[in-house]
Amino acid sequence: MIELKNISITLNDNVILDDVTLNIEMGMNTIVLGPSGAGKSSILKIILGLWKPDNGEIIFEGKNVCKMTDDEILQLRKKVGIVFQGNALFDSLTVAENILYFLPGKKKLSENELKYKIEELLSFVNLSGTENLYPEELSGGMKKRVAIARALAFNPQVVLFDEPTTGLDPINTESILELIEKLKQNGTTSVVVTHILDDAIEVGDNFIVINEGKIVEAGSLEKILRSKNPFVNEFFKRFIEENHNPFIRISKEVNK
Amino acid sequence: MTRFQKMIFGLQEFSLLIKDIFAHLGSVKDNWTETIQEMYLIGTKSFFLIFLGGLFIGIILAIETGHQLETFGATAWIAKTVSLGMVRELGPVIAGLLLAARTGAKNTSELGAMQLSEQIDALRAFGASPVEKLVIPRTIAALVMFLPLTLIADIVGILGGMLVSNQTFHSDISVFWNTAVTSLKMKDLFVGFLKPIFFGFFIATISCYFGLTTKGGTTGLGKNTINAVVYSSALILVIDFIFTKVVWELL
Repeated sequence: MIELKNISITLNDNVILDDVTLNIEMGMNTIVLGPSGAGKSSILKIILGLWKPDNGEIIFEGKNVCKMTDDEILQLRKKVGIVFQGNALFDSLTVAENILYFLPGKKKLSENELKYKIEELLSFVNLSGTENLYPEELSGGMKKRVAIARALAFNPQVVLFDEPTTGLDPINTESILELIEKLKQNGTTSVVVTHILDDAIEVGDNFIVINEGKIVEAGSLEKILRSKNPFVNEFFKRFIEENHNPFIRISKEVNK
Repeated sequence: MTRFQKMIFGLQEFSLLIKDIFAHLGSVKDNWTETIQEMYLIGTKSFFLIFLGGLFIGIILAIETGHQLETFGATAWIAKTVSLGMVRELGPVIAGLLLAARTGAKNTSELGAMQLSEQIDALRAFGASPVEKLVIPRTIAALVMFLPLTLIADIVGILGGMLVSNQTFHSDISVFWNTAVTSLKMKDLFVGFLKPIFFGFFIATISCYFGLTTKGGTTGLGKNTINAVVYSSALILVIDFIFTKVVWELL
């Protein structure tokens, strides 16, 4: 389990996170939901140790990330992969080079082993045959899948997704969500930051709703939907209305 | 945060970057490809600019001093003036300023764009150090390449001065060259070739610092690129003054 206890962080006099406490269950998909600027992505950066909080602690495998040495942080980052919102692929490198760039011990692997590793990862994200293309030659959805393949190169226990479906068309969105589900079946824990309700509900097991740097609700979808918090009600309004509207419900069932 | 506090904070961050560079200097052996690539980019891509800069400064120096010395019938001194002026002062400073603009702007814009597109965060997130992967190769490349580039500016400047002196003031080419070379003492060469090493180090580190601290989208990137060139250029002039006044007197 990854635990965030009483995390607060202020950047340039702006409160980013205020006394945030949350638990991330291993082997489950945890969704961090909230509007833009709520502090969702900051949670991912804090889990990875990219940002150090002003107060509080992050416990991963029983160790406080805030008190880890640089070497321990490096070891932690090999267990946690991240898919950035803008993909953060290196423009000057091919797809294969992007995926292998961070691979530890790659110098010890033979060319055939590296080729097999690339093929395996690209096949997992349905991008076989693209190893020699450059990021500029890929579509938005393909770039996202390369970023996922890169995050998986380490065989991480946890994958952090920052707005994985934002800006993608429905087909690419669906393929990304399928990949997140596939990872869960393989035993990988995913933490997905998003503001898109439909995507969150499709892959989420646990939900954390955040607004203005504070957690306003956390738990299963049922618990969230029963919440009396006005912000949660407003955020989930459309979903609640659709699920209580018999015409929309029937139309969805017919479409299925 | 007030402007003064921001400046102190910036200096502190810059000092920490320099500390990190020295602490991880050994990593250069793992990043040879990047270092060689940067050396190529600084060396070959800046060659023509340095060649032109050195040539015209040498020519101008010869013309300006030649006209003054001609009135005393001392055109034989043009060679010494051009040679000492180029090797001790103008060669390193002109090469430094041109490279601050070219290499400094390149480093800041590249690293700044990487910072804005989260590529720097990606490096950190996947367990790589941006200082080792990006800053040290650029610093080593600048340290290695600035010296030969300055040497080129010096030689081309003296040759330019020699041609102009021959055409305009009818100086003998072999006498000019002989005077230019023999008037240079070891102290002149030492100071003239030590400067580019300091210039290279500060241009690379300042430009990388501004690149890594870029925020605020394309406007912020433009602002930081300008700052990198301005601060590097100003520091070149300050270091040049320190060398001319303090180091020269100490030697």
